[in-house]
Amino acid sequence: MRFLVGIKDTLEETRSTLRIAAKIANGFSADISVIYIGNKPKEIMASEVAMVRKSLSDWQIYHPGLEVLHWAFDALKEFGFLAGDALEFKPENLLEEKGRFRMILPEASGEKIRLILREGNLLNELKKETETRDYELAVIGASEDKRKIHKLIQFLDTSVLVVKNFQSKIEYKVLLCVDDSKATRRAVIFGARTARHLNAEVEVITVSKRKDFGRGYLNAHKWALKYLRLQKIRHSASLVNGNPVDAFLKKAGQDHIIVMGKGTQNEFLKFFRGSKPIHTAQLADCPVLVVKPFDK
Amino acid sequence: MNNRAMRAFLYWVQEKRWLLIILLMGILLYWLPYPDSISVKGYRTFVISIMAISLIILEPIPLPATALLIAVLEVSFRIASPSEVARSYMSDSVFFIMGSLMMAVAIIHQGLDTRLAMGIIRITGNKVRNIVLGFTVISALLSSFIGEHTVAAMLLPVGLTLVKYASDKKPAPQLTAIILFSIAYGAIIGSIGTPSGGARNAIMIEYWKSATDSGQYLTYYQWMLMAYPLVIIQTVPAALLLGLVFKPEYKILDTPIRKLRVQVAKKGRLTAREFVAIGIFILTLLSWVFFNERIGMGIIAISGAILYMATGLVEWKDISNGTNWGVILLFAGAISLGVQMKNAGTALWISQSIISLFGGLMSEIKFLPYLINIGMTTILGNIMSSSGTVAVLGPITLSMNANPLYMGMTTAIVSSFGYFSAFAAPACMIIYSSGLVKVTDFLRAGWRVGLMSILTTILVIIFYWPLIIHLTNFK
Repeated sequence: MRFLVGIKDTLEETRSTLRIAAKIANGFSADISVIYIGNKPKEIMASEVAMVRKSLSDWQIYHPGLEVLHWAFDALKEFGFLAGDALEFKPENLLEEKGRFRMILPEASGEKIRLILREGNLLNELKKETETRDYELAVIGASEDKRKIHKLIQFLDTSVLVVKNFQSKIEYKVLLCVDDSKATRRAVIFGARTARHLNAEVEVITVSKRKDFGRGYLNAHKWALKYLRLQKIRHSASLVNGNPVDAFLKKAGQDHIIVMGKGTQNEFLKFFRGSKPIHTAQLADCPVLVVKPFDK
Repeated sequence: MNNRAMRAFLYWVQEKRWLLIILLMGILLYWLPYPDSISVKGYRTFVISIMAISLIILEPIPLPATALLIAVLEVSFRIASPSEVARSYMSDSVFFIMGSLMMAVAIIHQGLDTRLAMGIIRITGNKVRNIVLGFTVISALLSSFIGEHTVAAMLLPVGLTLVKYASDKKPAPQLTAIILFSIAYGAIIGSIGTPSGGARNAIMIEYWKSATDSGQYLTYYQWMLMAYPLVIIQTVPAALLLGLVFKPEYKILDTPIRKLRVQVAKKGRLTAREFVAIGIFILTLLSWVFFNERIGMGIIAISGAILYMATGLVEWKDISNGTNWGVILLFAGAISLGVQMKNAGTALWISQSIISLFGGLMSEIKFLPYLINIGMTTILGNIMSSSGTVAVLGPITLSMNANPLYMGMTTAIVSSFGYFSAFAAPACMIIYSSGLVKVTDFLRAGWRVGLMSILTTILVIIFYWPLIIHLTNFK
């Protein structure tokens, strides 16, 4: 299993993104690819910039963004994701591949982590990256730009974890949002594994806009509880009436990781009106994991 | 359409939204009723211009595709015959742009940056104030002859190495900014000094030849005579203004200079290869000054590139990889469009429309066309590239009711004032690509240096150009 972690700077929020990604990846025994997406020079000046970068590397001044990757590499070591001191970050080992740069980490455990540098628009580059390898999850820091979160959740072919306000001191619970959508079962499995590794309690919530709950909702709710019981994961459950997004946000507060399935409604409507997962990820004050359905 | 296909379609639409909007706008403009004051050909050329500018600014398709689209539209809209369009794509200016870019690759390939580093250290010593002045002056001096991106490419490693040694213990963002900006702004200022300072200058010379009724243009020497004083006037104030914006963390760079000296000293004395490289460049430069009228600047630039390859100083593979062929094609397309704008009367129509906007003021204030020119060129020059600006605005400003030589020079000079944005001038883009300066830094420093440059240009237009033309009688 492979996770993709998008970073843009060396701030504390980015550190939190890496920390939660490392924790979850450990739980799934997944590899991590850290990707830094920098500004792309205008096409009209691209070859001049490339020429300058070549001269700079002759002076041992390396590609901007390498420092961020180096920082991420050290952070992952600190979080215990990478074992052993043998693994070394050498700027001169940056390899240019098709439309991207990849840091070569020749030591044995190098495969557990990949460091990638791309230039351009965040969504395009993440999408291109997910097309080069089969990634299960993309982890990204929350953005002020809500439209960006919307596009990432809608267009990336992976599950997406939007990290907002993650603090290592808080004991997080997992808020598992269950409904009758295709991706719910997968979200339950994903949420359960995450909770087990974080040693967190799971709160299952099913919200209906109507006063009664449809059979699909109730079946999904029951299945989730049964699965958690079989997996021996501490859990509680609630059936709530009202607006789903409001209910999720109210329940989650700042000390939950919200896990929910990717909506499978009409993509055209989703593009203009959004969806429950998109609105939740945009408005939540805590990390939100949107899980893709079994069939992409 | 299933959900997956719909998602792929929506992704494509949001990716290509600007292309779709531009195409729709083009179609709409094409079918709209057009004013009587312009011919069908002129109006269609106007539509192509609007589409081309939008495509160059927003880059929804690769720039070479935009360049080719111009040719396709010129023929499809029956503005010119295929042969005429093909001819308008190749000129001495396009050769010049091609030759200059090839020579830039060859020069950078020689590793002369270490020699420059040694020269700068010797001249400036270890005081930051002098180092900033040194970078600005040397950058300006060199970029007048070999183009701003070549100079920025050679000086940036030197500047960043100094910054790296100075930031060993703690980061020095202000020092980094002032050094990088002195390189970029110096290069921009210098690039106006001679025709070989930038592609925009060559484009303007082409327009003087092909897009004015008189066909009168400036030779290399005459250009220098008119523009070089501006380089001299602007360089020192620019360095001083940068000192007002950025307050470096250190006043003296003793250890970094020593370390840099040790690093560059390893290269030893100038090698025969380096002598030949410098010799070829000086030969090219002298040919530009003395033979440009007979041979043409483009042929001279290409000859220089050939000499670098013939002497084995650079291989074709390096030239081919380092030269931005797409940009050459783009400028060829832009020049072709400019020529059609003149031939179809579009340039005249736009300039007359601008003039009529200002009514009687135009005849009352003789300097107004220049102010309008400066305003339009500064704005577009900071949104688009400087060369693109000259390519698009050149035919229009030349058609305004003023001396075409003055107006052309003003457009070429002012288009280089891309101080305000990181994306307009190649030198600014190059320092921005280092990741060490912010977009806001360009605004902070840019408005001061930009204002100074505009004011000095106005003074030169009013006082110096009439004087020098009167004295030398080259009008």
